[in-house]
Amino acid sequence: MSISGLISLAFTAMIIENVILNQFLGICPFLGVSKKRSSAVGMGVAVVAVILLSGIITWSLYRFVLSPLKMEYMQTIVFILVIAALVQMVELILKKTSPALYKALGIYLPLITTNCAVLGVALINIRKDYNFAEMIVFSLFIPLGFLLVITIFSMLREKIDTAPVPKAFKGTPIALITAAILAMIFSRFGGLI
Amino acid sequence: MDILLPALVLGAIGFVLGLLINLVSKYFHVEEDSRIETIEAMLPKYNCGACGYAGCHDMAIGLLNKKAMVNQCKPIKQEAKEALMAHLDELFKAEKTSTNN
Ligand code: SF4
Repeated sequence: MSISGLISLAFTAMIIENVILNQFLGICPFLGVSKKRSSAVGMGVAVVAVILLSGIITWSLYRFVLSPLKMEYMQTIVFILVIAALVQMVELILKKTSPALYKALGIYLPLITTNCAVLGVALINIRKDYNFAEMIVFSLFIPLGFLLVITIFSMLREKIDTAPVPKAFKGTPIALITAAILAMIFSRFGGLI
Repeated sequence: MDILLPALVLGAIGFVLGLLINLVSKYFHVEEDSRIETIEAMLPKYNCGACGYAGCHDMAIGLLNKKAMVNQCKPIKQEAKEALMAHLDELFKAEKTSTNN
């Protein structure tokens, strides 16, 4: 794939087919950790690290171990194993390097394991038969899209907190409505390419 | 034979990952209050989350901060529960006398 192809893949992955707003993956942390901007950014960065690493490892495992041994059917189990181990390591490293962020992310940190965006990217890499460069671009820009949207969303939510929201809409309902409007806006980017 | 190879490969991958986690946890070890460790050792270590915490370690911190009750842990055995309660009582009593002085 040419450079321009890679750029358009990056743009598509990050904006047009955004994980959260277009593919509805990773909604749980998206709603759970978006109340404060600092923790939202922390979550986004942790997800970028996990998805990029797990993308590279699972892709290599598939190409060089599972595929030659005709064990493609094992991919889901192997991928989950890799992701769980990676999240565990990220957790340990964060606990040491940034205890404040570790505290702020709380239960959502181990829950990255079950963030379907992580497994989703690993599986899409295989399904679309990406080569190495495409895989790197895809596994980097999908979580960057996650980071972008969760940051925007947390800023919106901080503003909404100070707004006079009707009682019945307080909390999650207004968050979901905001997310829906955000998704509609992002869906228009599809016309760009 | 068809099942042996996948099992071996999966086992090998799991082994390598386990080794890596072990190394990372050694390298990034965080010194923690030793009281948390002793309390955690007295919990069942199932990490099932029935107590409402993210796992036994979290629950131990909650117990130490008097935010949690031992009763919240569902799978704990009766004897273990009594031992843990006694241990906590002692801890908190010692704390009180030391702050009073
Ligand atoms: S309920 Fe008990 S065993 Fe389960 S996680 Fe909590 S402390 Fe651990």
